[in-house]
Amino acid sequence: MAANWFSAPAPVARRVRGYFAPVSRTSQIPVLFDPAEQGGFSLDAPPNPWISLGWIQGLTRKPGSKTAAVLTGIPAGTLEQVRETLEAQVSFEFLSWTKLTMALATGSQHMNLLAPASGATLAADGATAATAVTVLSGSTATFVALAATDAAKFSPGSIIALDGDYTGQTGFIGTPISGAYVRTALTDIDYIRRVTFNVALVSAVTPAGLTLANALPGGAPASGSELQAVTGFVDREGGSFYQEWSALFVMEGSQGERIIFHYPRLQTISGAQETALPLDSKQKDGLERILLKGQFLALPVTDPLDGERVVCYRSFLPAASALV
Amino acid sequence: MQNAKDSFYIALRTRLATLNPERTILLRGTTRPGILVEEAEASFSQIPNDVFVLRWSGVGVDLNLGSAMVAAQCEILYQTCGTQSYGGLDRGRSLSKMDEELTSILQPFYTAKLNYTATPPTAMLTKVFWDEPGFTPVVTQRDRLSHSANVMVYSYQEQGE
Repeated sequence: MAANWFSAPAPVARRVRGYFAPVSRTSQIPVLFDPAEQGGFSLDAPPNPWISLGWIQGLTRKPGSKTAAVLTGIPAGTLEQVRETLEAQVSFEFLSWTKLTMALATGSQHMNLLAPASGATLAADGATAATAVTVLSGSTATFVALAATDAAKFSPGSIIALDGDYTGQTGFIGTPISGAYVRTALTDIDYIRRVTFNVALVSAVTPAGLTLANALPGGAPASGSELQAVTGFVDREGGSFYQEWSALFVMEGSQGERIIFHYPRLQTISGAQETALPLDSKQKDGLERILLKGQFLALPVTDPLDGERVVCYRSFLPAASALV
Repeated sequence: MQNAKDSFYIALRTRLATLNPERTILLRGTTRPGILVEEAEASFSQIPNDVFVLRWSGVGVDLNLGSAMVAAQCEILYQTCGTQSYGGLDRGRSLSKMDEELTSILQPFYTAKLNYTATPPTAMLTKVFWDEPGFTPVVTQRDRLSHSANVMVYSYQEQGE
């Protein structure tokens, strides 16, 4: 009789896939991931609201929790252990430069360079922006309805940022993804669009509006949203804002098994760093790939199952027919 | 290991037939997708043009595992003189096309392992998987351009293999 099981060795994986989802900063609610229900998701189509950041490399998980021994007797021997501190760090390198990967790999807020108004005064993080255009109702996460005259201002290949006007708000700015924390009211009406994660590439333009190549991370535009062209991105070393995201790292083994690391709360702990990786390992002074380096501190959450405070969940979904 | 080699070949053959149905070879009176295993055909002094030839070479085994892992090195050779209609002046393009096809049919980097000695073939429990191809420099011989890529193919030995 043919065997219907096999003894599975340690998983063999090529790379790691990274997925991030925004933590609600005002309510401090992270995004949950249920490996039992969602663990088998298609790696190219993560469950909502997780955003795929593609492949990452050099994933290093460093537990920093400290334990202490409770001693008893003469001479003293360990009676039991207690956990004194709870901490873990994660680092890795992104294999692409996008709005989100740049933001995650910087220790501060990440800003969009809005297309400047004609003759605007120079500024390190982008001059005064050209006037925004109004987003009409009927827009979706992949289509922005505009007046025909406004749509004509854009072309396929344009990058756009879309969000509401800044009207003096303080605290965390941007929903559902907070892009900054404002202590005292500012005067820049475009400030929210400078820090918003609602950016996308325009793939087609019609008199009815803009078709986007990728869905807006914030979903369908809220009423009152305005739109501006973006020329690039900028971040700064310094500042007081820390990015905080829920993260999911998936290693898919050669036999279809999966190792999943779920960090409900990750905060960036270092400033912007890059790593240069030679394209040809035998020619160190040749072409180099510039990778974004991300370093994060895992913050604890309370597991409602038993009230324990934890920083990470590690799941393993075995291959079919593998001995467990 | 033979099951892994067979599965690797059939996976590439199936993918090639889908990707470029026009790349074929007339072999032993039958028109087949343009990919063959050198050790499974009559010997030839020179590999045929415009087809992929799989040549199995080195083998390594890791026995320190629950299931032994076998690594088999596969050299995939191909060459072209271009097309007659362009007098061979398109041989560079033809070789590039074959490079692209090979890169494409190697993805995804795994396939199910089947036992092709049974009829119909029976599915086994594990998968065959492989690394990215390592391309060697192009060799020019008169009007013929040759290329090869090395792929390390891995599999687990199952019970009964």
